[in-house]
Parts: sequence; structure tokens; C-alpha cells
Amino acid sequence: MVHLNGELARQGGALFSSWMAHGTGTVAALLVIPLWWKAIQRSEGPRQAIPFWAYLGGFAGAVTVIMTSTAVNSALALSGTLALGLAGQIVFSLAADRWGLFGIAKRRLRLGDGIALALIVAGSALVIWGSL
Amino acid sequence: MIEAVVLAFVAGGLVGVSRQLNGRLAVSTSALFASFCNHLVGFGLLTVLGLAIGGLLRDGAFSGPWHIYFGGPVDVVFVALSSWIIAQIGATRSTMLIIAGQVLGGVALDWVLTGKPVSVAALCGIILIVAGVIVAQRQRTTAPTAADGD
Repeated sequence: MVHLNGELARQGGALFSSWMAHGTGTVAALLVIPLWWKAIQRSEGPRQAIPFWAYLGGFAGAVTVIMTSTAVNSALALSGTLALGLAGQIVFSLAADRWGLFGIAKRRLRLGDGIALALIVAGSALVIWGSL
Repeated sequence: MIEAVVLAFVAGGLVGVSRQLNGRLAVSTSALFASFCNHLVGFGLLTVLGLAIGGLLRDGAFSGPWHIYFGGPVDVVFVALSSWIIAQIGATRSTMLIIAGQVLGGVALDWVLTGKPVSVAALCGIILIVAGVIVAQRQRTTAPTAADGD
């Protein structure tokens, strides 16, 4: 997916690439939703009211594209942007688990999670900078 | 430079926010519906931004090979899966496993498509990532702590 969108970005720019991906994605989801509608209606547990901000995930995603494509064109280049982006994701998700942000349950992490996280971060850094 | 650093870091954080929000929507609806909304809202915002900033449609934007336009449908599956998984295992575990998958997938794709040999450093990286995934897999999943909700 990242590869396909990257190819598309080379063709028409980052904004166009993301716009296209969201457009074709919307259509694709629209096509399969009716097929699955019955199945997905049966969700377990009582229904909770949906806060309006829960619909804004796509908003955050689209803003990300604009910010990332700006950062890539700075001295950070692709590797720096990738690394900082991963760092941002991790810091946010640690905070999200700690405080149960945006209505997803709090979670206490274990030692093993810390070890796994350290290994994956170190490995990703090696791949990002070892492939330059 | 410092602006670019902040920008890239915050962009990463927003990826997490997006996953969290889609996950919350999926809890009340379904993963596929959350993914649909994610793409619809994103498409709307990018259309407005593209028209406002300009330069959305460059010359030759539609002249690429057909398959490069299929990142979107793949993304629908990706967003649906991650919206479902985040409520099951939490944000940090989702994030680290997604990162592991993307980095390993990226290396594999590069290798297959360009045929360039994988560097020794990258190979060590792959070993660390696989070890990390195994460690993550081996521990019992902790249930959400009591007394939360929204």
C-alpha cells in the first residue's frame, strides 16, 4: 500500500496521491459494505453513543499526509521523517494506553512489552539508516 | 530544521490519534464502517485543501500504470484491521506490531522489486524486529484495566 501510494506520489505529488487513495478507498469500502452489512450489524455488547469526534480519524490522517510531505522535503529527508514519525506514533500510543485517550480502554504495559518495543525500535532504526 | 522535526514528530502522533479515533468508532459500529468513514472524511478534507492550495491535479497525474491507483482499497483493509485490533490489544502493542510489519514488508518489497541485496545493518535490524515480535507474542495479553470506559 505504501509502495503503491509512493509510486502514485512520484506520478502526481503527495497531495494527489493521498487524495486518490482516499477516493478509491471510499469507493472500495462503499462497494463491500452492503455485502457485509448484515454481518457487521451484530456487534456484541450494548451500543454506546458515538461521540462526533470519533468520525474525525480521517481528518487526522489527511492532515498527516500534508505534514509528512512537507517534512520529507526538508533536511530530514525520507529517513529522518520516517524515524521521527515512528517516534511520534510510539510516544502517542504510550500516552493513549496510559490514560485511555479517545475512549479506548486504558492498558497497563508489562516488562515484555517494553523489551519488545525496544527491539522493534532498534531494528527499525537499523533498517532505516542501514539501507541508506 | 526544528520546525521540520516537530512537524514529522507531530505527524507521527496524528497517525496514532487517527488509529485511536477509528478504533473508537469501530467499537460502536464496525471496523469496516470506521474505515469507510476514515476514507470519506479524509477525501473530503483533501479535496477542500487541494482546491484551496491548488496543485491537486498535476499534468500526467492520471497517466501512471493502473495498479498504482489501488493503494486506496488496500488501505481500507489496513485501517479496518487496525481499528479492530486497537480495541483488542491496546495502542502501544498495535503500534509496535504495525511498525514491525511495515518495516519488514518494506524491506521485502524493496528486495523483490529492486533486487538489490539487503545490507548487513538492515539484516541485523530484521533479526531484532522478529525477536521483538516473538517477545510481544509470548506474553499473555493483559485485559484492559478495570474502571475505564469513556
